[in-house]
Amino acid sequence: MPPKRHIMGLFKSEDKVVAAINALKQSSYEFIRVNTPIPSHKIMDALKLKSSQVGWFTLCGGILGFIAGFALAIFTATRWNLIVSGKPIIAIIPFVVVGFEVTILGAVFGNVIGLLTQTRLPSFRWFKYYDARCSGEHFGVLAACEPMQEDGLKDFFQEQGAEVRIFETIKESPQL
Amino acid sequence: MPRLTFTSLDQTILNTLTPPKRYYWGIVFLLFLGVMLGASCWAYQIFTGIGVGGQNNPVAWGTYLINFVFWVGIAHSGTLISAILHLFRAGWRNPIARAAETMTVFAVCVAGLFPFIHLGRAWQVYYMLPLPNQRLLWPNFLSPLMFDVIAISTYLTVSSLFWYTGMLPDLAAVRDRSTGTRHKIFKYLSFGWTGAHEQWRHYTRGYLFFAALATPLVISVHSVVSWDFALGIVPGWHTTIFAPYFVAGAIHSGLAMVLTLMIPLRKLFKYEDIITIEVLQNVAKTIVLTGLIVGLAYGTEYFIAWYSHNSIEMEQFRWRALGDYRWGFFFMVLCNTLVPLLFLFRKVRTTIVSLFVISLIVNFGMWWERFVIIAGGVAHGFAPHAWGLYAPTMIEYGIMLGAFCLFFFLFVLFAKHLPSVSMTEMKETIAEGAGHAA
Amino acid sequence: MIENDTKNMQINQTKAYWVFFILVAIGVATFIFGLASGHPERAWQAYLINFLLWSAIAQGAVLFSTVMHITKARWSGPISGLSESFTAFFPLSFILFLLLFLGRTHIFPWLHEDLHGKEVWLNIPFLFWRDFFGLLILYLLGFAYLFNALQLKFDPNQPSGKIRKYIYNAWKQNHRDPERIKGRMTIYGGLYILAFAVVLCLIGFDLVMSMDPHWISTLFGAYHFVKSFFIGLGALIILAAVIRLKQGEGSGIKPNHFHDIGKLFFGFCLLWADFFYVQLMVIYYGNIPEETHYVIVRTMLAPWNKLAWAVFIICFIGPFFILLNQRIKTKPVLMLTICSIVIVGIWLEHLLLLGPALSHDVQSIPLNLSDGLISLGFLGLMVIAVGYFLKVFPEAVPAMENN
Repeated sequence: MPPKRHIMGLFKSEDKVVAAINALKQSSYEFIRVNTPIPSHKIMDALKLKSSQVGWFTLCGGILGFIAGFALAIFTATRWNLIVSGKPIIAIIPFVVVGFEVTILGAVFGNVIGLLTQTRLPSFRWFKYYDARCSGEHFGVLAACEPMQEDGLKDFFQEQGAEVRIFETIKESPQL
Repeated sequence: MPRLTFTSLDQTILNTLTPPKRYYWGIVFLLFLGVMLGASCWAYQIFTGIGVGGQNNPVAWGTYLINFVFWVGIAHSGTLISAILHLFRAGWRNPIARAAETMTVFAVCVAGLFPFIHLGRAWQVYYMLPLPNQRLLWPNFLSPLMFDVIAISTYLTVSSLFWYTGMLPDLAAVRDRSTGTRHKIFKYLSFGWTGAHEQWRHYTRGYLFFAALATPLVISVHSVVSWDFALGIVPGWHTTIFAPYFVAGAIHSGLAMVLTLMIPLRKLFKYEDIITIEVLQNVAKTIVLTGLIVGLAYGTEYFIAWYSHNSIEMEQFRWRALGDYRWGFFFMVLCNTLVPLLFLFRKVRTTIVSLFVISLIVNFGMWWERFVIIAGGVAHGFAPHAWGLYAPTMIEYGIMLGAFCLFFFLFVLFAKHLPSVSMTEMKETIAEGAGHAA
Repeated sequence: MIENDTKNMQINQTKAYWVFFILVAIGVATFIFGLASGHPERAWQAYLINFLLWSAIAQGAVLFSTVMHITKARWSGPISGLSESFTAFFPLSFILFLLLFLGRTHIFPWLHEDLHGKEVWLNIPFLFWRDFFGLLILYLLGFAYLFNALQLKFDPNQPSGKIRKYIYNAWKQNHRDPERIKGRMTIYGGLYILAFAVVLCLIGFDLVMSMDPHWISTLFGAYHFVKSFFIGLGALIILAAVIRLKQGEGSGIKPNHFHDIGKLFFGFCLLWADFFYVQLMVIYYGNIPEETHYVIVRTMLAPWNKLAWAVFIICFIGPFFILLNQRIKTKPVLMLTICSIVIVGIWLEHLLLLGPALSHDVQSIPLNLSDGLISLGFLGLMVIAVGYFLKVFPEAVPAMENN
C-alpha cells in the first residue's frame, strides 16, 4: 500500500471550517483532525464527538480526596486520643474543613490526570502534520488521501476557500 | 478605535516578549535588592530570635500575620476573575484573566512565606506536617492553624495548576512564533499542544471543572484564614461574620491590586485596545460592591457589639474607634468603604489616574483593616491589666518590604517572559464579537 | 396569535384562580380558629414563619431582575421579566406585616423579660416603626424599578384594564428614551439591592434572631438575606417551569435558561449552607455558653435535632447531589419538584430557628395540620398575586417574536 498523502486546508473563518468538514465527511477523502487556535462550539458540534470523560477522573479524585481528608483528620486525632479544648476526639464539624479542602485537592488532581491522559499530553506526536499557523489566526483541517487523489483533495480545499499545505509523508511511527 | 484581529492581538502580545530594555533589568535588580533586604532581615531573625519583631504580650500576632492575610486576600480576587467570572460567562474578564491568575499564584507564594517567618524557629515547621516520626506525634487537625496548612497548600497547588493549564494554548502560540532557544523552551513548556480537536474537546471540559472547583476553594480558603481569629474567644475576633467578611474584603483588596498592576501594564505594553477602559470600569464597579459589603460588615459588627450588651465586647469596639489605634480604624473605614464610592461617578471610574490612585488607597486601607482586627483585637482583650500596644520593628518593616518587592519582582519577570494577556481567550472574545455582528 | 395565547392563559387562570382563593379562605379560617383556641401563639408562630418565608421569596425573586440588569447579564432572557412579577406580592407582604402587630404579645418572647438595657432597641414601637419604614422603602424601590422595567416591555396593543390605563398615562409623562429608562433602572435597581441587604439584615435581626434576645450572631442578618435570594430563585424557577409547561416553546424560555438558573440556584444552595456552617463552626468551636445554648437546643437535643437533620438533608444534601447532574437542571418538571421541596425545607428551617424560642420546652415538634393549612393560605396569596400581575401585564412572558 503506498503511503497516504496528508494535506491541510487552512481557513480563516469558523463557518468555512464547518462547511469544509461537512463536505469532507461526504467525500471519499479521510478526515483526520482540525487544529484551531480557539475552542469552537460550531466546529465541535459539526464533528459530533462523544462527550469528554475527564469529569469521571475529577469525580473519582474528589471521592478519594474526601475519604483521605477525613481519614487523615480522624486518624491523627485518634493517635492523641485525649480530649482537647472540650471537643470530642473525633469532631466532625471541624474535620469537615479538612475533608472539604482535600476533596477539592483530590478533584483537581483527578482533573489534571484526566486532562493529561485524555488529551495525550505531554507528547510531541501532535506535531506530525501540524502547521504553526494553526495557533495564530488559521483553522487547519487535515485530511488524507491516496497519492493519486492528491490533486483532487488540493482542489477540494481550494474550492472551500482555504490555503493549502501539502505535507511530506512522515514515516509511520507505531504510536500514531 | 481599530478593531482587534487575531493577528494584531498576537502581534501586540508577542511584542511584549521581545528582549527587554536596560531599564527593565534595572527595575528587576532594584526589586531583587528589596527581596535580599527582606531575606537578610529574616536571616537575622532566625539567628537572633523571634523577639526582634515587635510582637509580645498581649499582641503576639503582628505584621507577619497581617501581611499573611493581606497577601492571601490579594490572591483571592485573581481566582474570582479567572474562575468565578468564567462560570458567569462575563466576557470582560478575558483581557485581565491571565495577569490576575498570575497575581494569585505569586501572592499565595508570598503569603505562604509568612507562617514560616512567624514561626521564628522556622526549622520546626515539620511539627505541622503529618509525617510518621519516632515520637509517634501527629498534628491535631482540630486546630485552625492546621486548617491553614491544608487550605493554603491546596490553594497554592490548585492555583498553580489552573494557571498553567490556562496558559498551555498560549505557550503553544508563543512557541510557534519564536525561534532558537525560546522556541525550544516553549516547545517543552507547551507540552506539545497543537489545538487539535481531540485536545480541545477535553481541555474545555477540564477547564470548566477547574473553574467550578476553584470557586468554593476561594470561599473556603479565606474562611479558613478568618477562622484563625474567629475560632478563638478574643472579643472583636470571635464573631460569626468573619468568614464572608474576610472573603469580601479579600476580593476588595485583590481587585484594587488588579487595577494597580493592570494600569501600568497596559500603558507600558500598549494594551489599551485589549484591556480597555470598559474592563477597568467593570473592575471599579465591582470594587464599589465589595466596599459596600465590607462597610455593611463594619456596621453590623458595631450594631451587634452594642446589641450584645456584653461590656467587654462593647469596650473593644469603643476602643477600636476611639482608642490608641483609632487612626487605623479611620483609614480602614475611609479608604475601604467611603473612597471607593467615588467610583459611582462615571468620570472617576473612567479616568486612569483616579482608578490608579483609588486602587492604591484601597490597598492601603485594607492593610489597615487587618491591622485593626489583628493587632487591635488582642491589644484590648478581656483583662484590662493585660492591655498593651504593639508597634512593628525595623526588622518587621524590612521583611514587609521584602515581601512586597518579591511579589513585584516575580510579576515583573513574568510580564516580560510569558504572555501577560490570554491570547486564546481574547481570540474567543474577538470571534464571538464577529459572530454576533454576523 | 399572541392575543389568542393571552386569552387562553387568562381563561386557564380564571379556572385555576378559584382553587387558590379557596386555599386562602381555608388558611384564614384555620388561622382564626387557631387564634380562638387555647393556643393563639401557635397560630401566630405559623403566621410569622409564613410571613417571613413568602416575603423573602418575593423580595429575593425581584432581586434577581435587579442584579441581572446591573451586571448587564444577557443569559437570563425572559426570566428577568418573570421575576418582576413577584413585586405583586409586595403590598400583600406589607399588609401582612402590619397585621403582625396584632399578635405582638404572642410573637415576641422578650416582651416580658428583663432585657438589661436592650429595651432601647427591642421595644414594640421602635421595632415596628423601623421595620415599617424599612419594608416601605424596599418595596417602593422595587416598584420604582418595576415601573421603569415594564415601560421598556410595554405593548400598548394589549387589552387594557383600569390599572394598565393608569400606568400607561403615568408612563406617557415619564421619559420615553430607552437609554434614560435603563439608566433609571440601574439607579433604582442598585438602590433596591442596597435596601435589600440592609432591610433583610434588619428583619433577620428583629424578627428571627431577637426571639432569643440574649443570643447573637453577627452573620445572622446576612444569612437571612442569602436565604431569601436562595428561595426567591427557587420560586422563580417554579414559575418559569409552570409557564414553560403551559406554553411550551411560546414562552421563550429555553432549556439552557433552566440550566443557567439551575446552576445559580445550586450555587446559592451551597452559599446558604456555607453561611449556616460558618455560624455553626464559630459557635461550636468557641464553646461559649451564651452562644452555644441556641445551637445545642436546635441541633443536638430532642425534639429539634430531628428537624435539624431533616432541614440539612432536604435543603443541602439532596439538592447538592441531585443538581450536580446537568440534564436534571434542564428539565422544568424536575426543577419544579426540587425547588418546591427545597422551599418546604426552608419553611422547616424557619420553624427550626423560631420554634424553640416561641414554644419553649416542648416535647415534640410543634407542627401539625393547621400549620400546613395556614401555609397553603399564604401560598394561595402568592399565586394569586403573581397570577394577577401576569394577567394584567402579559408582556412579562414574551412570546418568541417579542424577544
